[in-house]
Amino acid sequence: MTNLSTKAQESHHEDHGIGRYVAVFAVLLVLTGVTVWTGEMNFGNWNIIIAMAIAIVKASLVVLFFMHLWDEGPVNRLIFVVSVIFVGVLILFTFGDLMFRIPGLLPNFIQADDVPKVMHAPHGGH
Amino acid sequence: MSSSEAAHSAHNPYLAHHFDTMEQQDHAARLGMWLFLATEVLLFGALFLGYTVYRWMYPQTYQECANLLSIPMGATNTVVLITSSFTAAWAYHSIKVNQIKKGLALLAITILFACAFLVIKYFEYKHKFDVGELPGKWYSYEGLQAPGANLFFAVYFLATGLHGLHVVIGMTVLSIIGYRTIKGRYHSGNYVGVELGVLYWHLVDLVWIFLFPLLYLI
Repeated sequence: MTNLSTKAQESHHEDHGIGRYVAVFAVLLVLTGVTVWTGEMNFGNWNIIIAMAIAIVKASLVVLFFMHLWDEGPVNRLIFVVSVIFVGVLILFTFGDLMFRIPGLLPNFIQADDVPKVMHAPHGGH
Repeated sequence: MSSSEAAHSAHNPYLAHHFDTMEQQDHAARLGMWLFLATEVLLFGALFLGYTVYRWMYPQTYQECANLLSIPMGATNTVVLITSSFTAAWAYHSIKVNQIKKGLALLAITILFACAFLVIKYFEYKHKFDVGELPGKWYSYEGLQAPGANLFFAVYFLATGLHGLHVVIGMTVLSIIGYRTIKGRYHSGNYVGVELGVLYWHLVDLVWIFLFPLLYLI
């Protein structure tokens, strides 16, 4: 424990000044612009992949440099990474269940192709 | 721990008696904060799961609902939060190097950005209440009547509402840090409290980085 914590503290005490924050801030602003720009274009199924890829890069920059996980000790890194992995497990395993169920057994389930583009309000005069 | 080392660090009045050194105390504090942040990730993770499941069930409705949200307002709020994250990091750095006045000014700017975020969010919410883009049985927007629209707005209000609550808590934490800094508690010899409060603020930014594209863009 002593060795571990000493190593973590030594690296944590490095001061990078504010230059690093300015650089990260600039990149975050540019990526925000990019995600709005690509969000307005239509890449079909790639939309969500592009948007999530940009969000993951932005989030990594915030966690590593604004939140100093880059300089943090191995224990704190492990804690945070494990929490992210468990969110991934939660979503993946739930999807494993959803995708292999008989569609009709899902509550209120409607096949994507069956959904009318816009259904008019019931009082829309028949 | 040798007695000379203990004596060396004993002059720091911020060192609690149950820790040997300031470094050990800071290490324990950071460990506790990261454990807390991990639980926050799991908390929001459950909401993201809800979003994903309903999106999978109603893909077209989700896209049509996302089109009802104002991208300019969402994008402005993204820039506001990213900027506030930057000023918070800068405030932490300033207090760490004993530039106390600069640190306080930057904390105040960060809190102002947080207020700006909430004001923009208020106008977004107000519009949705006015036109009836609301969760569950309260959904009454006639421009889009599709199955799943009320679920989209249930997720929207839960996710942005919980995030908004975090913004308010974060503002409170930053205010307390500012008050304690004025009182002379935080400076180059004792700054881990500032560091942890600012970590919480970055988490607020982190959650929004995912909420913005998921709700507004795709």
